[in-house]
Amino acid sequence: MVQAEMVEASEFQALSSQYNVSGVPQTTINDGAGTVVGAVPESNMLAELKRIMGK
Amino acid sequence: MATLLNADVIKQIEDAFAPMKESVHVMYFGQKDNCMYCADTQQLIEEVVDISDKLSLDIYDLDADADVAEKFNVDKAPGIVIAGKDGDTVSDFGIRYAGIPSGHEFTSLIQDILLVSGRDSGLTQETRDFLKELTEPVLLQVFVTPT
Repeated sequence: MVQAEMVEASEFQALSSQYNVSGVPQTTINDGAGTVVGAVPESNMLAELKRIMGK
Repeated sequence: MATLLNADVIKQIEDAFAPMKESVHVMYFGQKDNCMYCADTQQLIEEVVDISDKLSLDIYDLDADADVAEKFNVDKAPGIVIAGKDGDTVSDFGIRYAGIPSGHEFTSLIQDILLVSGRDSGLTQETRDFLKELTEPVLLQVFVTPT
């Protein structure tokens, strides 16, 4: 149900531009439904997931 | 061909892999055209997999093996799937790399292999409970750079 893909930003620049990646790491969730900037604690990632899932 | 990993690095990885519990299966997807880092990535992965007998590797081509790529939801080259292997069964934990895992990302690759080998995400109970209730797929794309 969950897939996590590490994307090398410079090799896939079209995708990086599409999601306005300006610093790394930056995490895009479900094609732009959510975004997390930086290496955040697990609880922040969970909060963003809950937000986009409407929970 | 010259190796990418020198003896010191191989020794470090051997030490890191020493506590590996379960087997890990790596699936590499390359592409013939327009893939600047495919050759280096494939060589790097081959050298890493050679270090431990708990690691196995299958090499695919994104176009020629489009069925496998689609099954594992791989759409970029070089693309890497880090899965578990129990007997003949490949267990997909959804872990992917797109692009060459060099520099800092090489460390992430080694850590991911160890994580999959341990068969434990290390996530909190709260996160596990939330993920268990998911009804729609979640795709996390973590943009990284090698330096």
